[in-house]
Amino acid sequence: MRKIFVAVMLGAFAFTAGQQPSKAQSGKSTADSQFKVLNPWAEVDPIAPRGISPRLDTLAGKKIGLFANFKRASRPIVAEVEKRLKAMYPNCETSLFDSRGANVVETETKNREQFFAWVKAVDAVILAVGD
Amino acid sequence: MLLANKGFVTDAHAAASSRGMPGIRVLGTSVPCETNVKSEIEAGVAAAMESIIEALTKPLTAEEKSPKQSIDKHPRIVFTGSYEEVNRFFYRNGWTDGLAIAPPTEKAVAEIMTGTDLPADHVVAKLIPRLGKATVEKIAISAVMAGALPTHMPVLIAAVQTLTDPRSRFDTFEVSTGSWAPFFVVNGPIRNDIHVNCSSGALSPGDIANAAIGRAIGLIVKNIGGARKGVEDMGVLGNPGKYSLVLGEYEEESPWEPLHVERGFKREDSTVTMFLPNTYIQTIPRDTNAKGLVETYASLNPGSMSCLLVVPSHAKVLSSEGWTKKRIKEFILENSAPPFPPAQGGQGTPILPTKLSADDLMIVVAGGPGAWIGLLRSAGGWENSFVTRKIDLPRNWDKLVAKYKTVVPNSPDIR
Repeated sequence: MRKIFVAVMLGAFAFTAGQQPSKAQSGKSTADSQFKVLNPWAEVDPIAPRGISPRLDTLAGKKIGLFANFKRASRPIVAEVEKRLKAMYPNCETSLFDSRGANVVETETKNREQFFAWVKAVDAVILAVGD
Repeated sequence: MLLANKGFVTDAHAAASSRGMPGIRVLGTSVPCETNVKSEIEAGVAAAMESIIEALTKPLTAEEKSPKQSIDKHPRIVFTGSYEEVNRFFYRNGWTDGLAIAPPTEKAVAEIMTGTDLPADHVVAKLIPRLGKATVEKIAISAVMAGALPTHMPVLIAAVQTLTDPRSRFDTFEVSTGSWAPFFVVNGPIRNDIHVNCSSGALSPGDIANAAIGRAIGLIVKNIGGARKGVEDMGVLGNPGKYSLVLGEYEEESPWEPLHVERGFKREDSTVTMFLPNTYIQTIPRDTNAKGLVETYASLNPGSMSCLLVVPSHAKVLSSEGWTKKRIKEFILENSAPPFPPAQGGQGTPILPTKLSADDLMIVVAGGPGAWIGLLRSAGGWENSFVTRKIDLPRNWDKLVAKYKTVVPNSPDIR
């Protein structure tokens, strides 16, 4: 009986020992470890900001550029703006520029020269994104 | 001055600032995005006219005349804290994808960078929209966060290079309202070196390579490119593919030339091919003979720029009846609906492709036993195309592969 008791106790001890946390488990938990971490946000080459062009004193007698982005609503928006501008300022001229790319930087496209020529010929630009 | 829907005003300011013009006058209107409803346009413009005139005539403020340079400080070591604290900090800064990240410690990042011979400060590319510099270290940081291994680094570097290839039109698609997500096909020996899943559930979660490479790219786009959801990334509905869309072509089970060989590379090269779909559909053919299969492919109406996923068993049936990838594409071109209806209207109407081209289709053999067909669809006509990039390996590649070769699930090999 005593031998059985000892065997059972030894067995229980062995079982319990196997259940003890491993060395790794008994160390600091991830909740306690401190992580010194690197910044994922990237650097950019600084671009010197530029001011925007001076405003017009009036739109009367001016040439207003209307830039239509390559989005479905853009063209009808500039058409509506044009209609209302001419109603408000009958001697205001308008000039349309149709972009062939959606949300592209026009100066980086093959239409670059055409775009520059157009901008130089107008007094102000209204751009309709269409989004 | 710029007119945009009021939901895009922040995006417009961010875009202008990234180009050095923070003072551009942006007016938010009520005109719904991409509407063609005349009454909505008329009402929105009518309500905005006074403000439009003011934007063109009201004198500039001092700040608008001479905007101050904002200096963003980005300390290299950004935070110290527990695992939970790091995750909360990163999440609050908008640097995660919503899931827990592995803390990018110096040690972890250094280990990831053993996957390339390029120095840590080498600029792989500059990513839109903020033209952030994707240095090797910054790529590695996102890779650690995503749970990637050093052996994924060569794929990540090549993947970043595909994004910045002008032919990808990543600049248009990544931040688009269409929620397009980069999809990567890996070809060549690297698939087996790093366990890219090509077979069962290749696009499902569960494989570190497929999951972590795609996830790392998503984090790179966000944290290096600066494409923040709702600010620069204006995806309307979003796309779960932005978590990861990566698979390998099952070259061993394909009777055809692998994708990268079709595209001019050697069979022994390892490559990554990318395009940006926003649709992934699956269907099962009524008949699994060759005729039934190709008719099903055509009925999917791939549109322009699509990738057809063909399971190995179907590829073998097709090949046994004389169908090559080229012939399948020709059949689809002849028998599917055109991608876009013919352009209507006059000057300024978008000109989109009305005829599908073979260059707009990609066929990849992938998947496990089964009869499903997969199609990932993007949009062509934007001077965009599939982009393939060779993967460059570091000098220690064999040792690195051996070190991480056993990082596989301990389950029966079903490949």
